[in-house]
Amino acid sequence: MIADRIRRTRAVGGRVMVQLVRDHRFLALALLVPVAVVYLLHVFLGSVNSPFFDPARFAVPLGAFIVHFLTYVLTAIVLVRERTGETLPRMFACGYRQGEIITGYLTAYTALASVQSLIVLAELAWLFELDYPWTKFLSIALVIWLLAVISMSLGILVSNFARTEGQVLPFVPAVIIPSIFLSGVVIPPENLPAWARVLGWFTPLFHADAVLVPLLKSGGSMADAGWSLAGLPCYGVAVLALASLTLRERD
Amino acid sequence: MAEAVTVEGLEKRYGRVEALRGISLSVKRGEIFGLLGANGAGKTTLIRILVGLARPTAGSVSVLGFDPNREAAALRRQVGFMPQSPALYLDLSTRANVAFFGAAHPHENSGRRVEEIIDFVALRERAHDPVHTLSGGMKQRVSLGCALFHKPALLLLDEPTAGVDPPLREIFWKHFRDLAASGATIVVSTHQLDEALACDRLAVMRDGAVLACDSPAGLLRRGRTTVRVKCGDAIEEARIESTPEALAAHLKHAGLSPEVASVELVADTLETIVLDLVRRGGAP
Repeated sequence: MIADRIRRTRAVGGRVMVQLVRDHRFLALALLVPVAVVYLLHVFLGSVNSPFFDPARFAVPLGAFIVHFLTYVLTAIVLVRERTGETLPRMFACGYRQGEIITGYLTAYTALASVQSLIVLAELAWLFELDYPWTKFLSIALVIWLLAVISMSLGILVSNFARTEGQVLPFVPAVIIPSIFLSGVVIPPENLPAWARVLGWFTPLFHADAVLVPLLKSGGSMADAGWSLAGLPCYGVAVLALASLTLRERD
Repeated sequence: MAEAVTVEGLEKRYGRVEALRGISLSVKRGEIFGLLGANGAGKTTLIRILVGLARPTAGSVSVLGFDPNREAAALRRQVGFMPQSPALYLDLSTRANVAFFGAAHPHENSGRRVEEIIDFVALRERAHDPVHTLSGGMKQRVSLGCALFHKPALLLLDEPTAGVDPPLREIFWKHFRDLAASGATIVVSTHQLDEALACDRLAVMRDGAVLACDSPAGLLRRGRTTVRVKCGDAIEEARIESTPEALAAHLKHAGLSPEVASVELVADTLETIVLDLVRRGGAP
């Protein structure tokens, strides 16, 4: 039984991976766009003309936001394509289950998101001359990678609710814009009204930022994040469970 | 159990639209059962319910002894489904598509089975090509191959020959007959009357209802025969039942007098009978 589930999950992951690798244009854009956007971030932050402003303070949280945005958008359309192409009902009719399809997709896209996260972090380190010990870099990489995986899960969840590719579009700003305002990237969450702080918990960036802010402080480490460390994995598990439960098999 | 499919009082509504209105029918194991009707008759909805892709609003369904809603996983191990659109990954090859949909089922040598399927649908020379480079008929063949991977006991085929040219349709039907001969049950929807004639039994559908359910011969018996008797310069025309007894009774009054120059018999075709059924809504 478990072996069957693993075989089917591997089949979905393998098939999606082959499709990703063969789509050269998509692959090139998925890898080049973060490079260009991080460079623009460097130009933007470098243009703030204030002696009290430290661009490096914002570089990593905003880099995390870029990863969140790109990975979320990449996956927000995947299941819609399967639905409109009638391959999703065919997968169900063949015996594939919701969890296997979601996990298979996530496995394949995680490979791409991992490369994107590494590119963003390496470019941030180079452009902003981030001078962190390697353990801190490793911690930052782990948080950004987790954020990427969770953002993809969120994208897959959202794509469950759209019947056409056009219906996905309103979901993009609905998730991304509140992330900027409520997650603590720009304004510390404690400065927000209580109801806005509660809303902020529903953005993955909030949980990533809760770990990154203490981590980025001088001498800071993952341990300083305390309970916030559990936020990202818990959020990810909840989103994955919701995505599996809401992937409709029957009309 | 002699029945592969049993449906009782099946209803399906999509909002205000009644896709199925209390359908009852049964399909025997090993038979080719046709669902004949125009677009919107409810054929696709019925097939989707049988494979567990749609939930009935009312009524009961049993497919190979399973409830498609509650026992979908067990059922799908024994059912092959070919949707109306090819439903394939166009950027992947024939081989990759068959392998992927086949991977849903355990198989001791899946690689060999993929090659068997490729040979069965006669696409050996195009096995490596992306599906988007294939013709419409070839895509349908790939789609059929994907449905056959696990040697299903029941095949649900939703307009499998839509957009397929006549020679290829003949090849498809040869496949269906071979599969039925090997013991598989086939439920096939179509709006082609010549295909309907190749089925063991047929359900004629309109607006979500079954108007008639019979063998093609049984449906043909529901037709009438036009008799034209030319007697001198006069032509007498009558519509009688399509039985030898009715013909004998009709000709008795004319006799075979020397004035009878010719007797012409024109029996209703399946097309006429089905169109008449559909027009009358199944009423006798």
